[in-house]
Amino acid sequence: MTLSQATAAVTAAPPVLHPCAGQSMTGAEIVVQVLADEGCRVLFGYSGGAILPVYDAVFRYNERHRTADGREPMPLIVPANEQGAGFMAAGHARATGDVGVAVVTSGPGATNLVTPIRDAMADSIPLVAICGQVPTALLGSDAFQEAPVAGIMGACAKHVFLVTEPTQLEATLRSAFEIARSGRPGPVVVDIPKNVQNAGLVFDGACRLPLPGYRARLRAIEQAHLDDAACNELLRALAQARRPLIYAGGGVIAAGAAAALATFVDTFGVPVTTTLMGLGGFDTTHPLALHLLGMHGTAHANYAVEDCDFLLALGARFDDRVAGVPAQFAPRARFIAQIDIDPAEIGKVKRVDWHHAGPLAPALERLVAHGRARGLRPQLAPWHAHIAALKRRHALDWDRASAAIQPQAVIEAINRITRGEAIISTGVGQHQMWAAQYFDFRRPRHWLTSGSMGTMGFGLPAAIGAQLARPDALVIDIDGDGSIRMNLGELETVTTYDLPIKIVVLNNRGDGMVRQWQRLFFAGRFAATDKNLHRKDFVRAAQADGFEWARRLEDKAALDATIEAFLAHPGPAFLEVMIDPEAGVYPMVGPGANYAQMVTGPFIAARSATPVSEAEVPATAMF
Amino acid sequence: MKHTLSILLQNESGALLRVAGLFAARHVNIDALTVAVTHDPGVSQLTLVLHGDAGVLEQILRQLRKLVDVLDASSLSLVGSGERSRLVATSA
Ligand SMILES: Cc1ncc(C[n+]2csc(CCOP(=O)(O)OP(=O)(O)O)c2C)c(N)n1
Ligand SMILES: [Mg+2]
Repeated sequence: MTLSQATAAVTAAPPVLHPCAGQSMTGAEIVVQVLADEGCRVLFGYSGGAILPVYDAVFRYNERHRTADGREPMPLIVPANEQGAGFMAAGHARATGDVGVAVVTSGPGATNLVTPIRDAMADSIPLVAICGQVPTALLGSDAFQEAPVAGIMGACAKHVFLVTEPTQLEATLRSAFEIARSGRPGPVVVDIPKNVQNAGLVFDGACRLPLPGYRARLRAIEQAHLDDAACNELLRALAQARRPLIYAGGGVIAAGAAAALATFVDTFGVPVTTTLMGLGGFDTTHPLALHLLGMHGTAHANYAVEDCDFLLALGARFDDRVAGVPAQFAPRARFIAQIDIDPAEIGKVKRVDWHHAGPLAPALERLVAHGRARGLRPQLAPWHAHIAALKRRHALDWDRASAAIQPQAVIEAINRITRGEAIISTGVGQHQMWAAQYFDFRRPRHWLTSGSMGTMGFGLPAAIGAQLARPDALVIDIDGDGSIRMNLGELETVTTYDLPIKIVVLNNRGDGMVRQWQRLFFAGRFAATDKNLHRKDFVRAAQADGFEWARRLEDKAALDATIEAFLAHPGPAFLEVMIDPEAGVYPMVGPGANYAQMVTGPFIAARSATPVSEAEVPATAMF
Repeated sequence: MKHTLSILLQNESGALLRVAGLFAARHVNIDALTVAVTHDPGVSQLTLVLHGDAGVLEQILRQLRKLVDVLDASSLSLVGSGERSRLVATSA
């Protein structure tokens, strides 16, 4: 068989025939059936001419398959803007691990989705985005609402398909789900011309694209197995280490490896620090948990990275918010090891002494079994005592005596009630970092944040997606006054669908994070970041969008009681907290600085006084 | 240093753009590119010249192997000399 024959849709022998196999369906009906087969329980999207056939098929599917209690099996949640739909799908995916699905029209519908698609790519979140497209006969003619989606999205997504051949539609869509969730997860865009949606087709029920290159590489990586020699080498280095440390990233969560990591830590006693994306991958209340590392990591985590003599990176990629100066990252580590599902991440930033490219959970389980069989039990009492002392001496802290409400106090008050069990989403900025620092994270998929892209506007729609995925969970959006403005239209989406989301806006009257940089590196010239003169009344905006519980908190003495009432409200609730606009995020490892040069600020004890001076930072390093 | 890559690519809509786009996104310049048909009309053979150190070469090959349409990507090196020299795939 030649490869071109293989490119035609192939039918794998299914274990049982699909009940709809052989039925005549339109392309649009096939789209909906495949979505149902792939386990999609909710769609996010905004309608428009080029996607109407699919929307109509969704409507009919929901009519035909109502549940016993009258609910739609695949409700279509309508945002204010397609960007909202994309982040809702991402929030759904992040909170569950399932593929999130957005369905939008051509042209502006598709281009509004570019930001969430890139955001999902950067954080390895599985999405399938279905875009309507102009009919194939009009492709390339500058038709009404035509955009070169394959080109635009191809540069942003894990993969993009333009379906020009109707008979390929079913196999393509099923393969899109497979690509989105397999290997290193990511977003896949399927661009479907309107005539393909309207084509008369026969449903197969099992066909997939052959994807020979992708599948062969995926199989190799999924079957990559840690052999005895590799286990021996890593565990020998671990046995020799006096100060071993695990640096755990979002890959721990994506791989479902949190339980395997906990067992590894219990077996060998290695402390753990997590990246922003890895929060929840290891219980932050565990005695060996050091919480967040990096630019705004805890001082104890960053000092532990400075001190460690062995570093094991798990599903983490040494990105610039963690290893701003790669050569000076973990400077005392004599042995650096890395496990990742993506071979391209191995040694990409930092040379490693040992690596394994393969699934994380079985690798950790294998190392545990191998170490147990050989009675490996590292004697780390002095290191554990050192870690405990670091956590005690360099604990996070803030201006507790201040008359103004400090943002950290707000997070702490919420955390006292939620105790690491709530699902937290965020915007981007200082409030995001305070949330990352001051919440406990006890399990995976409770922390939804735009990590790599850092996209303002993520928090509110992500919370909506998460609440729809986990109707019984307490979902809290910790947002900034700037960030929430970006998708403020989604306030109404919350009340339209009566989602009991709790929204907190930490209002510091402006772009606090940018001001912090301007204060440090631009002599306090707050170009375009001071919003003192802005007239926005958030509480009235929330009320206008139907929030019955919407309050502003300005009095520090009322903090605890207000938070309690806010969280106890059964429906949607909106709380604006006027915080100290001068509050800063500390610690901070400045651009171009290493961890020893970390600035811990006025309220956290530093280990030594060697902060990097402003003059030492080259302008080119500032981003 | 100059490197020659050989890439087998499925003839899917936008596939060549995704290869070229990968180089642009990763700031690796394509010095020369030829696209040839193969015995299989569903597959094209790309020969691509770039320059960069060993790290650049290794990273771009690994990234190429993440593209869904890429069947195979390898680096070629010149072996032999004069008229009898030829390009063979290396395992970089
Ligand atoms: C879409 C987008 N535009 C610009 C930025 C750059 N940026 C990063 S943080 C920030 C300020 C955010 O302000 P706010 O949401 O009020 O958060 P704060 O830092 O005040 O807590 C800006 C403008 C961004 N991250 N995302
Ligand atoms: Mg702000």
